[in-house]
Amino acid sequence: MIGRITNQMASQMTLAGIEGALDRLDTTQEELSTGKSINQPSDNPSGTALVLQLNTDLSNLTNYSNQVTDGTGWAQAQSSALTDITNATQRIQELTTEAANGTQTAADMQASAQEVNQLIDQIKQDANTQYNGQYVFSGSATSTAPYQSGSNDTYGGNSGTVTRTIGPNTSLTVSANLEGVLGNGQSSGDGQLLDTLRTIAGDMQSGNSSGLNSDLSSLTTNLNSLTGLSANVGAVQDRLQMASSRIQTLQLSDNQVLSNTQDADMASTEISFSTQQAALQAALQAGANIVQQSLMNFLGSGSG
Amino acid sequence: MTIPTYMGLNTALSGLEAAQAAIDTTGQNIANADTPGYSRQRVNMTERSELTIPALSSYTGDGSQFGTGVDITSITRIRDTFLDSQYRAQNTTENGENTSSTILSQVQAGLAEPSTTGLSHGLDQFFADWSTLAAHPGDAGAQQAVMGDGANVADQLNTLAGQLNTLESQVTSQYNTLTDPTNGAVANDANQIAQLNTQIAQAQAAGIDANALEDQRDNVIDDLSQYSSVNVTTQSNGMVNVSFGNAAIAAGNGTADSTPLVNGGSVDLTDNLTDTNLSGAGGTLGSLLSLHDATTGTGQIDTYMTTLNSVASQLVSTVNGAISGADASGPTATPFFDPTGTTAATIAVNPSLSANSTTPPYTTSEANAVASLSGGAAQQTYNAFVTQVGSDVQSAQNSQQTAQSLLTAIGNQRQSVSGVSLDEEMTNLIQFQQAYQASARVMSTINDTIGTLLNMVSSG
Repeated sequence: MIGRITNQMASQMTLAGIEGALDRLDTTQEELSTGKSINQPSDNPSGTALVLQLNTDLSNLTNYSNQVTDGTGWAQAQSSALTDITNATQRIQELTTEAANGTQTAADMQASAQEVNQLIDQIKQDANTQYNGQYVFSGSATSTAPYQSGSNDTYGGNSGTVTRTIGPNTSLTVSANLEGVLGNGQSSGDGQLLDTLRTIAGDMQSGNSSGLNSDLSSLTTNLNSLTGLSANVGAVQDRLQMASSRIQTLQLSDNQVLSNTQDADMASTEISFSTQQAALQAALQAGANIVQQSLMNFLGSGSG
Repeated sequence: MTIPTYMGLNTALSGLEAAQAAIDTTGQNIANADTPGYSRQRVNMTERSELTIPALSSYTGDGSQFGTGVDITSITRIRDTFLDSQYRAQNTTENGENTSSTILSQVQAGLAEPSTTGLSHGLDQFFADWSTLAAHPGDAGAQQAVMGDGANVADQLNTLAGQLNTLESQVTSQYNTLTDPTNGAVANDANQIAQLNTQIAQAQAAGIDANALEDQRDNVIDDLSQYSSVNVTTQSNGMVNVSFGNAAIAAGNGTADSTPLVNGGSVDLTDNLTDTNLSGAGGTLGSLLSLHDATTGTGQIDTYMTTLNSVASQLVSTVNGAISGADASGPTATPFFDPTGTTAATIAVNPSLSANSTTPPYTTSEANAVASLSGGAAQQTYNAFVTQVGSDVQSAQNSQQTAQSLLTAIGNQRQSVSGVSLDEEMTNLIQFQQAYQASARVMSTINDTIGTLLNMVSSG
């Protein structure tokens, strides 16, 4: 197509060849050094959109995962508190059964009453369990202790709920209604656990074994609702566990897509790099040889 | 009739002179082998008119025509004006795309996407903080994080808006500098062309080849073609008329340009350096106008600004809306973003928030409502914006590369016609040297024959 090749053309074309080879090498080098095939949006505009979207998705998944971890810790704190409360209640049940037999001395009954009162304190302390500085049984008033120590058994929290967002538009209520089980103490006469326990302590003190017998049946009812609450907390833990594994699966697949989109294929990039390096060397060598040659090399000084 | 005795000497002399002129021109070509814009020159030679000698033959009585040597008619440039106009058209395109891709790359670099320093990551972080705040309402650390990352998002939007504004003023000032009627590049080129036109016309009137001046003029027109489209029409007196911008495109399609930028020896800037004439005509000036036209306030960068503003306004309205929506039953909480700042340049965290940061400003339900906006309208608009900028840069870079390879190809074709090949010049040099030696040999032979004749006369 081009008839004459002039000296300027030869050197310009050599230079253009070398510059082109260097430019390609530069791009490959950037991919190799960053390990990414998308280093600016123009490298792959649609890929960039996907990368940004995936980053947001991954950030959301991390949020969900954090909330699941947080919720799991919360539910575990509830669960272990409820186990303690159940154990204490069962111990009181034993003491009450013994006292209701009518075989104990007044001194034994006094001692039992004292132990029951201590166990009530322990139960209230368990109800005041905190996770990460928040009271887990106070409804949504997580900065208020549900029960005061001492004789006041009134519930201090509220009936609000605490939720954790564990997926898109999926929230899980992690607060447990302990007030519904422990109640508001003797003064309210609500027949819940604290009311029953205070009555038991009073009956032990006064040696009222027939009262204790009827107390035993209300205690059984209270224990049943306590077990029910523990089962609820267990169900929350199960859901959190499932959410956690679902989030992990999603994170894994998102990360794979992200890596496929933005990461450089190292093996093929390395090969391109070597190939381009060889091409650059060839271009340089060709330039060094071709540009030097001219007819003058072959003419004597006094030719003709 | 007889043959004039000394005619041969003159014939040989013309050969010597022609060979010498050719050797000199070869020397000029070799000397300018690397001069940019130099067109190789050629000595145009013709036979001199013959000398007719009637009745030379005593037998037939027929006459003969004797050659009288060679004439140097002119020394001309070897140049293809068709390639020139193709080269200039590509030069216009290449420079336009180059300008676009340079400026757009700056927009892209300002975005710093995808990375952990860009706005996209900042927004992810911001919504993650709300999610943490939802789990730990009243936690001072979580509140600080929301405030801090909210301010960071606002800062990033402010910075991006500032960068776009700076680019707009850069574009405007570059445009104004180039089109300045006294010192602007276009005015300079136009004035030079007009001056060269006058000089070339004078030289041509005096019958002199103005090769060097024409090379210079072509160089200046090449230079002018980077700013906008040019169309060159040659006049009989050696001058050229240069149309510029949309007028040049129209002239290329056959519509006569009544107000060319360079009309012989005069220059018309007022009719040509107008937005209407330059807008869409390609080249650096056309690209600058399409990026940002200061007069109309429109252009690609302005479109980006509009998109960025809608990212900001969406962010403000959705975040503040989520907060007020979540308080339908309770007391109204302070809007998180200053409701008066709804553009990228003015978006800010509500100043009344930072003042009383000791009280927990947001409830769990409010924080949850904001956290659920993650991946919502504002982020989608922003992602689309990044993609738009990326594909704009990509297409500008691709067009620029295509235009550049075409420009190189046409430049090579032009070089192929006009450029100096040292090998060729060396071959010519040998050829002309031998021609010179042969003419000299003819002269000495004629000298010998005349000497023989004279000796014969003196000895007799």
